[in-house]
Amino acid sequence: MIKTWELDLNFRNEILNEPGGAHLSACFQCSTCTIGCPIAEIVPSYNPRKIIQMSLLGMREEVLSNPDLWICAICQTCTARCPQDVRISDLLAAIRRIAEKDAEAGKLKIDSVRPLFEKAFLHQLEKYGRLFDMGLAMEFYKGKEGGSFIKGQLAMMKDFKDFGMRMFKKGKMGPKAMFPEKVKKTEEIKKIFEKVEGK
Amino acid sequence: MSEKKLAYHPGCPSATTAIEQDMSTKAVFEKLGIELAEMEDWNCCGAAEAEDPILVYALNARNLAIAEKDGLDIVTPCSICYYNLARTDKALREDEGLRAKMSEIDDSLNYKGTIKARHILDVLVNGIGMDELSGKIEKKVNVKVAPYYGCYIGRPGETAFDDPDDPDLMDKLIELIGGENVQFSSMKTKCCGGPLMMTREDIAFEMARKVLESAKNAGADCIALACPLCGMMLDAKQPDMEKKLKITIEMPVVYITQLLGLALGIDSNKLGFNKNIVSTKEILGKVI
Ligand code: SF4
Ligand code: SF4
Repeated sequence: MIKTWELDLNFRNEILNEPGGAHLSACFQCSTCTIGCPIAEIVPSYNPRKIIQMSLLGMREEVLSNPDLWICAICQTCTARCPQDVRISDLLAAIRRIAEKDAEAGKLKIDSVRPLFEKAFLHQLEKYGRLFDMGLAMEFYKGKEGGSFIKGQLAMMKDFKDFGMRMFKKGKMGPKAMFPEKVKKTEEIKKIFEKVEGK
Repeated sequence: MSEKKLAYHPGCPSATTAIEQDMSTKAVFEKLGIELAEMEDWNCCGAAEAEDPILVYALNARNLAIAEKDGLDIVTPCSICYYNLARTDKALREDEGLRAKMSEIDDSLNYKGTIKARHILDVLVNGIGMDELSGKIEKKVNVKVAPYYGCYIGRPGETAFDDPDDPDLMDKLIELIGGENVQFSSMKTKCCGGPLMMTREDIAFEMARKVLESAKNAGADCIALACPLCGMMLDAKQPDMEKKLKITIEMPVVYITQLLGLALGIDSNKLGFNKNIVSTKEILGKVI
């Protein structure tokens, strides 16, 4: 049951103002997005149309704490098919960013390792300007294991033992992969992160 | 194609997980007499992990500005790099305020909008063109192929360069080289699960399984690809998937540039055929 007194009527504006969220209110609930979604085919609860409806209604808490927010594959099928140009893929990303802000402020607990992964990915970029696979895996696994470097390394080795060996044999994870490839002008990349991410 | 030189944005996996795509792209363009000049100091496009559009625009404005200095169009072998570069190009062309915002961040992001970013598949079929390519074919590559396009080639509309539901640029190349396209339409553009690989392996494996098994059921000798993340998911992870889901797939997965390279008479080692994870021996046996 929806408790009208618990609705947050400002939630819609919050999303509309977030980059990528501007087309939210154009949705007329046709379900085209959900019908073509490859995730909805696999995960029965997954329903982007419903997330949009709940957002429009102001069900802020329910939307932001919905673990399904974090399993979108950003494949753009919904965006390509939506008759109302809602740009659902970008919209879900905007909602995820609002959730992350809440989580950082200690107001929400996110039930997914995805924010951790994305942060670890962006850290590599910030440092080197390019993706350093090994650095990403080490940081991500450390985070997953509650910040313990040793536990992270052990878990990573367990998950990637076969894969790593396979890639190594094909020369895809040679000694070169142990060191990051860097852009020369890392200061330019640092500036991007400073100014955009407010770091 | 009039351009004889392009700025090459190889993308992060080019030196590691997708080395065979990088090798075959370079070899094919060399054979076609088009210079790929690797962009000086290119940076990562932000891939699928940079979710803030402003961050994506900033990272890619830097790349676009680098190529613009040399007056060259950018070509990239990666569908995600392509999408991020192309949507940045579009956004910056259309929005003066955004351009100003970029310049404010740093001078290196000062992009004027005078070049284009393209995907290799687009350059090969629509740029160089089928006529010119057909004149250079030396061998028949007699394979049955499931052409897999994934995301970002036919969608979203703002940057797409092929049909969203039934793209055919790779189909055309496969016909050109003497191969056969198997019935695969319903799977061509379905996401491989790549973006969820590290955070929801269970879902990602299920998505990839569907693609791989459809190709197998359609009687394909291999899947052809045009994106390194699809390669990671469908080829490099295939043995893990088989183990976890207790199934046998053994479906070779190659890049379209590798197949085209064979038809152009390029040596298979130069095309990185020994680098694919699932064995490609049988494919090489079908080159006449
Ligand atoms: S396809 Fe577009 S209009 Fe239809 S429900 Fe989804 S977001 Fe709303
Ligand atoms: S972008 Fe996300 S919500 Fe849209 S179709 Fe793909 S997986 Fe589904």
